[in-house]
Parts: sequence; C-alpha cells; structure tokens
Amino acid sequence: MAALLRGLRAGRTLRGLSSVVAAPSAVNPQCSSLNRGFHRAALRLQDEYKSDKPPSSSSSSSSSSTTYHEHYQAHSAEHDTAAEASQHDSASDPSAEQPERPNTSYQDQSGEHGEEYETEEQLQSRILTAALEFVPLHGWSMEAIAAGAETLGLSSASTGMFYNGAGDLVLHFIAHCNSQLTEILAEQHKQVQLGQTEPKKTADFLREAVETRLRMYIPYIETWPQAMSILLLPHNIPDCLKHLSSMVDDIWYYAGDRSTDMNWYTKRAVLTGIYNTTELVMLQDSSPDFQDTWSFLDNRIQDVVNMASSAKQVQSTGEAVVQGLMGAAVTLKNLTGLNQRR
Amino acid sequence: MAASMRLLVRRAIRLSHKNITLTAAGAAARSDCCRGPLVCRCFSDEAEDRSTHFGFETVPETEKAKRVYKVFENVAQKYDIMNDAMSLGIHRMWKDTLLHVMHPQPGAQLLDMAGGTGDISFRFLDYIRSQEERQKRRVARSSQTPSWRDISNNYSTQDEPRESRAVVCDINKEMLKVGKQKADSLGVSAGLSWVVGDAEELPFDDDQFDIYTIAFGIRNVTHIDQALQEALRVLKPGGRFMCLEFSKVNNPILSRIYDAYSFQMIPVIGEVIAGDWKSYQYLVESIRKFPNQEEFKGMIEDAGFYCVKYYNLTGGVVALHSGFKL
Repeated sequence: MAALLRGLRAGRTLRGLSSVVAAPSAVNPQCSSLNRGFHRAALRLQDEYKSDKPPSSSSSSSSSSTTYHEHYQAHSAEHDTAAEASQHDSASDPSAEQPERPNTSYQDQSGEHGEEYETEEQLQSRILTAALEFVPLHGWSMEAIAAGAETLGLSSASTGMFYNGAGDLVLHFIAHCNSQLTEILAEQHKQVQLGQTEPKKTADFLREAVETRLRMYIPYIETWPQAMSILLLPHNIPDCLKHLSSMVDDIWYYAGDRSTDMNWYTKRAVLTGIYNTTELVMLQDSSPDFQDTWSFLDNRIQDVVNMASSAKQVQSTGEAVVQGLMGAAVTLKNLTGLNQRR
Repeated sequence: MAASMRLLVRRAIRLSHKNITLTAAGAAARSDCCRGPLVCRCFSDEAEDRSTHFGFETVPETEKAKRVYKVFENVAQKYDIMNDAMSLGIHRMWKDTLLHVMHPQPGAQLLDMAGGTGDISFRFLDYIRSQEERQKRRVARSSQTPSWRDISNNYSTQDEPRESRAVVCDINKEMLKVGKQKADSLGVSAGLSWVVGDAEELPFDDDQFDIYTIAFGIRNVTHIDQALQEALRVLKPGGRFMCLEFSKVNNPILSRIYDAYSFQMIPVIGEVIAGDWKSYQYLVESIRKFPNQEEFKGMIEDAGFYCVKYYNLTGGVVALHSGFKL
C-alpha cells in the first residue's frame, strides 16, 4: 500500500515536472487559499534551504513547489471558500521560477496579491480577523477561532497556536478598533491642518471620539458582556489596561492636549472614567441607535467641563476669601493696638 | 512534495553509494542529508551497513526495527498493566494533558501514530463527545422557548458534515490486536480505525489529518527525521503535530532519583509482571539515548513545522512537543 502510494507520487512528480515546463497559465479560477498556504510553506522551505543548496537544486525544489501547487488546483475544485484571485497565482508562478529569493521580512504589504512571505504573527492576525465573523454565532471562544481558521483553509487544529484562547480574539479586536480610531482621528487632524474643516471644541471632540469608538462595538453588542468578562481575567488585565490607556492617550493627543504636569494624569483618568461608564451603559441600552448612551455621554462630559470651570471658580473664591481674612485680622490688630510699637 | 523528492533522492544516494558512483543529485542532496545525525554516518562509514543505537547497544540500522518489533511483540499483552506499574498511574495524567493541550474541535481527524493500545484515541473520542454535548446543551439553554421554525430546523438539520475520526496506526500487529480487544470491551467502535503502518513511510495520502500524535513511540523509530517529514506530509495545512516522549530531567536531585528508579526498579517490575527483563532494560536505555527537549525541538523545526513549543511534564520526565504545519 505504501509502495503503491510511493509509485503514484513518483508518477505525479514526473508528470508535474513536465507540465511546469509548459506555461502555467491553466489556472483554476476557483483555487482556494489552501494553495496559498501550501505554496507559502513550500516557498518558506525553499527560503530556508537556499543557503544550503546550490542554485541548481533550489530551482528544482521551486519547480517541485510549483508542481505541488498545481497538484492542489486539481483537488481544490470542490472548495467553496473565498476564491483567491487568479492573478495571485500567475504573479507567484513566475516568481517561483526565480532560483534565489531574498529572505526579507519587510515585504510589501500591498494587499493579498503581493503577499508571498508571511510571518506567524500576520497569519495569526488574519485568522483572528476571519474569526470575528463567527463571533455572533459562537461567542468569543475557540469555536469562533476554529471557524475562522477553516474559512482560510487551515485545519481547526491551528487554534492551538492561540495559547490565550478567547482572550487572544478579544484583545485582537480591541487593538483593531483602536487602530481604526487612531486612523480616523489622524485623518480629521490632517483635515484641520489643511484648513478644510474647523477645529472642534474639546468637549465636542471628546464626545465624538468616544462615540465613534463605542459604535464599533455595535455589531457585537450581544456578546460584548462575555468579551468584557474575558478581559477581566487576571492574565488579561495588563493587556486590557495597556490598550485602554493607549486609546485614551491617543484621543487626548488629537484633542490637542500637550500638558506636562498633573493635568496629564487627571485628564486621562477622567476620560477613562467616562469611557468605561459609557460602555457599561451601552450594554444595557435598548433605545433606537443607542440614543440613551449618547445622551449619557453628553451629560458626563458636561459634568467634567462644569467641574473644571467650577474648580477654577472655587480656587479664585478661595484666594479672595483668604485675602479677606487676612485684611480682617490686620484690622483687628490695629483696633486692639497690637500693631503699635512702643 | 519536496519531502518525497528528498526521500527518492536519498534512496538514489544509497543505491549509488553502493555502486560507488555519486551522481549530481546525490551531491546536491548530501548537504541536507547530513542534517540528521544518524544519516551522517552513512558517508563516514566505510562499511556497508550504517549503525544506530538500540538502548546502549550499537546495532545495524536494519536490525533496529526488527528488534523493536520483537520487544513490543513480547510486551503487548501486559503493556497497559506495566505502564500503570512503572509510572504509578501518572501516565494517565500525561495523556490527559496531551488531550487538554490539543483541545480538539468537533470534526477533527486524528492520526494516532504508534497508538498501539489506543489510549490517546479513546481519550480523543471522549473529549470530542463531551465538547459536542456541551455545545448542544449551550444551544438548548439559549433557546429555551424555541419557535416552530427552530423546531422544524432541528428536525431537518443534517449531522456534522465531518464526523471526528481517530486512526490508530502502529507498526506492530500485536499491539493493535490488544487495542482492538480493549475497544471492544469498552464498547467504543464508532469513528475508530486500526491500521498497520511504519512511521517512516505512512500508508496515507497527503493532507489527510488535522492532528498527528505520537505518544511514547518516536524514540523507537530508526530515522526520526523521516518520521517527522511523513508527519508533515500527511497533515493538512494548519494541522498540528504533537509528540509525547520521555525527555531529560534538569533538576539534579530529581534526575538522580529518576535514574535510580529507572535502572534499578523498572527492569525488576518488568521481570515480575511481564516476565521480560530485557525489553524494559531496552526501554530505559532508549530514553537516555533520545535527544533532549531543545534538540528535539530543533529537529521538529528542521522538518518544517512552525510555532514549535514544548511543555515539561513531571519536571522534565516527559516532554510534550507541539508544532504546526503552516
């Protein structure tokens, strides 16, 4: 049985080698990312061995990797997963013919077509992004990650790569939301710099930033309590706090805060409080388009603004009162004759 | 693909070596042949047969497989009892840890290599069954008052498109026989297959399995790197390779106790319970000859696995290595 398979494999190899010489334009338009995963692994093998082998055998291994690649196309006709563009295959086929490939890690991330070498972290983040679709169905759990891996053509066993399990998925989502928020804020900042829009007042800016950020949770609002409970697990708390603090810092930075004294801490603490309480209100909100949440947010920010101005008032009042007392004390001294020098 | 090319080329080298003519292909592949320490000897030895270790003895490579076969043929009947006696039942914890780290999802296909008496496969099927039950309970709980549409959907839903399957593969027919008897007595037969096969040349097509495990078997394989490459071949992309094996104990005190226990107690227990001193002497010697955790991790990475990691169990007595085919 093993010998039979060996023979079949040898036969396929010879046939594959001969077909590689022919133009690889017979591309199956319905090839799946299974091809790409395998191709990538084969390319990586080729990269690793390029330093050991002389160019002649590396070209043979590259041709054999292309062979396997075509072998997969024959078998992937039944895959219904999202079809990779056939352009990717034709782009990578001629490149696979090159004997030497630079083993660089700074690959041009020009979308999926240019991606030929992928680090493990990039693969993991792709799996987690794909898994987000399944969160409404499976919740924030390993089943969602397994379903996401399967849409990418990977076996469900690859979920073992995520040692933190559901925590990885939640943290990835939060990091993704934060980077989206930063992009939006940077874009608005650029608009203001270019003079195309008016700069907003601080209170309005904060309100809009927090609202934009919280709106990103709306698709997952059913399962968000589960996500928050995962974030509160002790081993996830440091990462959660890190993401929260960097987000609050970004918002204040784009709001124009450049303070270097205690204000830096108080401002961020205040915004953290506002954000967390608004998030909790959002979880229980059932009004249309979360109107109650946004009005709660408005009120909290007004409170803060009022508190700031009333703090100033208290301070100046305090100073005035102190001066008044000092004056009264001097008058008393004069009246009782203590100030006179004998 | 590259793996099978390398296999073919290696065989070509061996044939050509015998004819004392080295082809260009042989020259090209020699550089990656010298990767495995065992195969390096094939170019340094003048003699025809290369030798390897069988416990503390040195034997020709061709003989090792036969002698290992004899060892396990002799111990097959008493294998499970001896496992319990030697490890004081701790081997059950090791195997349970393997399953917990594996955390298989319903629908996964397992290849239990050197599965012998089927311990891992039984646990795998149990785990999957409890996962499925938990999922069903969760679904039932969340839809306490199902609508008529939900009820009709439940009736018409077809079963999992992929049932989880465990294939127990072993080179030794006696061990598989014992395993089959155990399965029959436990009443487990759904989703289980028993196949005779050599780890260095698996009788399966490419990209078949989600998970490949080899528990306490890989140290008996003559060419470990070939077994690793075969594992890479039969795994699907994203598939996981997991290996449970005895390894080096780092703690010096524990190491002394462990050595004393291994060499003084285990062969004696073997003689008393199974009536076979030599097989258990081979067992403890082969543990000492196996590479340590870091070396084995390097071998797994060389075979082409990614995200390779190992966990030390019981202070390093057993190491669980895991790698992914990406």
